[in-house]
Amino acid sequence: MKIESTGKLQRVLNSGGFAVTAECGPPRGADAEIVRKKGELLKGCVDAVNVTDNQTAIVRMSSIAACAHLVTMGIEPVMQMVTRDRNRIALQSDIMGAYSLGITNILCLSGDHQTFGSQPDALNVFDIDSMNLVRTVQTMREQGQDMSGFELKGAPRMFIGAAANPFADPFEYRVMRLAKKIDAGADFIQTQCVYNLARFKAWMKMAQDEGLTEKVHILAGVTPMKSVGMAKYMATRVAGMDVPEGLIKRMEGVAKPKVAEEGIKICLETIAALREIQGVHGIHLMAIEWEDVVERIVSEAGLLPRP
Amino acid sequence: MIVGEQKPISEIKQIIAPYQKVLILGCGTCVKTCFAGGEDEVAVLASALRLVCKTEGKRIEIEEQTVERQCEDEFIQESAQAVSRNQAILSLACGAGVQAMARRFTTAPVLPGVNTTFMGVLEKPGLFTEECSGCGDCKLAVFGGICPFTRCAKKLLNGPCGGSQNGHCEVSSDIDCAWHLIIERLKALGQMDNLRVYLPPKNWAASLSSGPRKLIREDHML
Amino acid sequence: MSQKSQSKITVFHCINVFGDGDALPAVASASGELNFIKLPCSSMVKDVFLMRAFEAGADAVVVLVCAEGACRYVEGNLRAKKRVAWIKALLDEIGMDGRRLALFNVAAGDARSAKRFIQEALSVAAALGPNPAAARSRSDVALV
Ligand code: SF4
Repeated sequence: MKIESTGKLQRVLNSGGFAVTAECGPPRGADAEIVRKKGELLKGCVDAVNVTDNQTAIVRMSSIAACAHLVTMGIEPVMQMVTRDRNRIALQSDIMGAYSLGITNILCLSGDHQTFGSQPDALNVFDIDSMNLVRTVQTMREQGQDMSGFELKGAPRMFIGAAANPFADPFEYRVMRLAKKIDAGADFIQTQCVYNLARFKAWMKMAQDEGLTEKVHILAGVTPMKSVGMAKYMATRVAGMDVPEGLIKRMEGVAKPKVAEEGIKICLETIAALREIQGVHGIHLMAIEWEDVVERIVSEAGLLPRP
Repeated sequence: MIVGEQKPISEIKQIIAPYQKVLILGCGTCVKTCFAGGEDEVAVLASALRLVCKTEGKRIEIEEQTVERQCEDEFIQESAQAVSRNQAILSLACGAGVQAMARRFTTAPVLPGVNTTFMGVLEKPGLFTEECSGCGDCKLAVFGGICPFTRCAKKLLNGPCGGSQNGHCEVSSDIDCAWHLIIERLKALGQMDNLRVYLPPKNWAASLSSGPRKLIREDHML
Repeated sequence: MSQKSQSKITVFHCINVFGDGDALPAVASASGELNFIKLPCSSMVKDVFLMRAFEAGADAVVVLVCAEGACRYVEGNLRAKKRVAWIKALLDEIGMDGRRLALFNVAAGDARSAKRFIQEALSVAAALGPNPAAARSRSDVALV
């Protein structure tokens, strides 16, 4: 937060604004047009677009390349980077390469385990963890050095994000972990999708008591649910996800053609509630394979126009 | 101890297919304890292979022997005669034992009959769990005696990932989340402060990453 | 091949089910050749004994153990049960058919039940045909 602005997301957050980010999953293929189409849907209604890195361990177009396509469209990407697939040599090299392509935000993750993906037979790397990655990017930016202490010719100056999951266990430790990520160098945090507002509030309260909300920008994750099936899937099959029974009931309670509409309504209510929580500096809208709903949600949430 | 599991009969059949006289050589140490390659397993496997070969009308002669430890020359030597009587050796030792045999008997084919799986403990009768990956740089003191490099599916060293729920790992509800265990243990020890400290990237140079390792004890060399 | 030859059944039993003086051999039926092996406790039926019984030509193997909860050594019969399950799987793996091996709980001295179980094994053996490993060597198939 001390360094000068490198991008829009950082400007919005550092000026005390309420940021909006969205998500774009690269295609399972080499067609850049798909990325551009998604970008077109998101352009102008968000401050930055997260580009996932082989999310759920399914092989896709690389996050760096998809980010670069967005950059050429004038869209600011948040490059997600997982430590699952690359060792420290490849990670550092890709960070520098990404910055050279105009990518100024990074979200440091460990990544979903490959057991769930398209290559469960792969060797995972996990040479360093997400905490180490955060620190690495910070050292590059602040000290201009790589992990070996070498002075870089042109240091990447990335705005550094990390993830937090208030819904994972052990609950008491989650805030401690957040503090550690901040110490390691995280400027902003994007959280797991919030459905259980009570638990999220409890977590935010703990973070605030520890003075953490003063030190980092927290963007709360939201995902509109398109169907009852999706709600149930997320409730039962996605690790670290907390979808309260009541929400599923509510989705089930409406007529089938209206379910998606109900999902959007729930999402808007959640956003409204999140804006009331002290320390929440933005939302991260993950409309998975439903990018065309983003503009509507951002607009109806009263968050347009973007600065 | 080293834990291993006998290969499926179908694979063993394929491995020994070119030979008519085979020595099944057990090892009386680790693999005996985990029921993969001790004397009893040698006997059962020999019997199963004889039955299967008879059923299929194939000729096979199987000799059975078990030595105390296949990873030490002193014990390996006891098998020399049996080795010379057979065309191939099906070793039920761990991968180290198989290689030690191959090193000793340069002209005899030494075939593995066991998949060596991990270094672990006998948690309770019939249950073996992986505990150590021999990384060469033990940090168990920090983690309350639970190794995240081995027991966390992502080798995380600065705390649990976002997939840990109710004490289970995101990979499977059959797996305990190592980080959950670490936190419980450190809480009990009053050492939670260990986890507030940022741990720099692990030095994997001491591990297999740097190539096969050696332990040299000059004082024991002649 | 001379069919209709008698099935060979090996019966392992615990001496606490049928002791020396008991009339177990009397249950022998005309339709089968029975081979009784008594053990001090059913838990002593090691994996390899079961395998060797098949190697010796048995078409089916029966293990008679005490009723559950009635083992003199507390859990001997439970151990036997697990071992039998393990070897049944191995028999399936080697194409011998795990159904050739069966374990039954019998109350001490209950010769009627024992007879019924052995009869059951005989009909399984009849249905599955002779032990394939033994059949080959009996009919002296040319070795490949
Ligand atoms: S759930 Fe726990 S054990 Fe599994 S990968 Fe995450 S931190 Fe590691």
